[in-house]
Amino acid sequence: MVDNTYKTRPASSGSSVGKTEGPERSYAIWPQKQVGMKLLLIEDDERMADFITRGLKEHGHIIDQTANGKDGLFLAAGEKYDALIVDRMLPGLDGLSILKMLRSTGNFTPAIFLTTMDGIDDRVEGLEAGADDYLVKPFAFAELLARLGALMRRPPVSDVKTEIRVGELEMNLLKRIVTRAGKIIDLQPQEFKLLEYLMRSEGRVVTRTMLLESVWDFHFDPQTSVVETHISRLRAKIDKGFASEMLKTMRGVGYSLRAE
Amino acid sequence: MVWGIRFVLNSRIFKTISFQLTALHSLIFALCFLALLVTTYVTTTAALRGQMQTEIRAQLNAMVEESKTDGIESMIEDINEHLAQTKSATGFYFLSDAAGKKLAGNLENVAPVDGWRETRVGETAALQSAATGDEDHQIWGQGAHLPDGSFLLVGQDAFRLLSAQEAIINTFAWSAGLAFVLAALAGLAVSRGFLQRIDDINQTSLAIIDGRLKERIPVRGTSDEIDRLSTNLNHLFDSNQALLESLKQVSANIAHDLRTPLSHLRQGLEEARAKSSSKQIYEAAIDGAIVEADQLLATFAALLRIAQIESGSRKAGFKDVDLTSVLERVADAYRAVAEDQGKSLATKLSPAVRFMGDGELLLQMVANLTENALRHTPAGTKISLSLASNADGIQALISDTGPGIPEDQSKKVFEHFYRLDTARATAGNGLGLALVAAIAKLHGLRLELQDNQPGLKVVVHFPHTV
Repeated sequence: MVDNTYKTRPASSGSSVGKTEGPERSYAIWPQKQVGMKLLLIEDDERMADFITRGLKEHGHIIDQTANGKDGLFLAAGEKYDALIVDRMLPGLDGLSILKMLRSTGNFTPAIFLTTMDGIDDRVEGLEAGADDYLVKPFAFAELLARLGALMRRPPVSDVKTEIRVGELEMNLLKRIVTRAGKIIDLQPQEFKLLEYLMRSEGRVVTRTMLLESVWDFHFDPQTSVVETHISRLRAKIDKGFASEMLKTMRGVGYSLRAE
Repeated sequence: MVWGIRFVLNSRIFKTISFQLTALHSLIFALCFLALLVTTYVTTTAALRGQMQTEIRAQLNAMVEESKTDGIESMIEDINEHLAQTKSATGFYFLSDAAGKKLAGNLENVAPVDGWRETRVGETAALQSAATGDEDHQIWGQGAHLPDGSFLLVGQDAFRLLSAQEAIINTFAWSAGLAFVLAALAGLAVSRGFLQRIDDINQTSLAIIDGRLKERIPVRGTSDEIDRLSTNLNHLFDSNQALLESLKQVSANIAHDLRTPLSHLRQGLEEARAKSSSKQIYEAAIDGAIVEADQLLATFAALLRIAQIESGSRKAGFKDVDLTSVLERVADAYRAVAEDQGKSLATKLSPAVRFMGDGELLLQMVANLTENALRHTPAGTKISLSLASNADGIQALISDTGPGIPEDQSKKVFEHFYRLDTARATAGNGLGLALVAAIAKLHGLRLELQDNQPGLKVVVHFPHTV
């Protein structure tokens, strides 16, 4: 919560209409620093490994890196990490096998699986092998960071709440009612799902791709502004007429819902 | 001669499966023939021998009985009469008195021993044997002493048996030889015909390897195994040729369509470097470059995705998909987008329509078609998604009331990178509909573009799946 140089959109946003690209890009800013994660990167491509390692260190994380699959498995099994970042193709032992072996020994350290874009089946294989999330290379660094953040705060499966609260915003999952400061907000089903996801990710940045995958279950990149349109509609409903803006756009990164 | 044999043995005919089978059949055939020959030979010999023995014994017994009443003189007369009647006699007689003196008959020096005997003609110093004239055959006979001590031998020339045996062997030898030759000839003919057709297949394959992609294997239209093989191979060659041509087309398109964003990228970076003024200009240039690079990556991703879909590997993961919910999800995602653009999106979906396929890809197909309708139409357009299932199969309709597509271009829109000239101005990599075409092909769907009067109607025909 250190930077506030990012621009927020005007509350009455209609500007995204018709735009086909995502939020504007800017890599200089990361509004939400979640520091001190201990991470293991198993990646043999030197430039990619360097890019990820430097980026994560800049954001205050501790990172171990190895290029060899066997070493990676050894480290992952022996040390206590907050999360693993595992590439698919590795010398020594491939990423799928690493994950399978770890999971079969009862090690459930959250893991992000890195795949290349020519393997569209890799996602399913990776998730089946025990990965918690996947990322297609090449990716924006912000995407990796956002997904790591989401992994860290993923609630246990057993933790089923019927009410979620973020600041003035309250959501009753059973009655499907949303209120802000006691005032009922009428939402379309898609907007409800979107808000639910944002509220569960309170304070964290979620990217456009994360929203497409979890709210719409779209695993491809639409050429139209599906996310932007729904975000702007949702913002008009939950923020318009209230004192503060809760749903923020992080330039070049994604969106974030916070209590302020 | 040796060279000739070696040539024949080395020639490919002997190495063909069909010839080897024919040779094997001929061999089995020959063995059967041999078995038949042996059986016939043995049984016929035994039967003839038995018959001769019976005849000789019957005659001997009759003559012995007769002599008991008529006396020995009458027997001598009988024998002489008999021998005189049949000049080329096959019957032999010998009659001697108790002292061993010959009384009648056409044999000499016969020992007066009772019972069955088989003697060579030469040994008995017989008269010239009647039928054959050669002395190398046998006389079979039975001897018996009469009550008065005289001895009678009745015999027959065994040439009947020998000639029967000879006839059997001859018949078998000729017919077996003929059959063997015929079988071999048939084998040769069959394998040559077979070889010719295999040769055709080989020649065509070699021609195609050589780069003459239009060559095809001649098909006889008999729809036998080789014909079916040839037809299937021809189909394979057809699809290979089509793939190769589309690959060429795609390479050309990639070269063309990627050059533009790449040169934009380069230009932008060069300009920023040259201007070297403020931080803002640098940042803007870098942001621009990232956007360009992302677009290039998206294009590559789309191309790789199309290539992977076209490879057909996703077929293995086909599952029962609820098409109704696929279209519903697409409509739910894009309805707000349409409304914000001043358009409407309506649905008319039959409930619970199911199809075997890849749900994720089918969703993307419908989404791409819907996005296409959204992106190339003006405000006020009515877009509709409908799904119906009837006896002809399942039809999904994505229609709009926009400007439509000129008829001459309606086929090209599903090609890689094809974009109507009017659409060049809008964003997109021109691969959306190519992806649709690839997904449709993977699922065996037929895409049809119709005039919606006004606008465009895309009909997706789903075949029946079990």
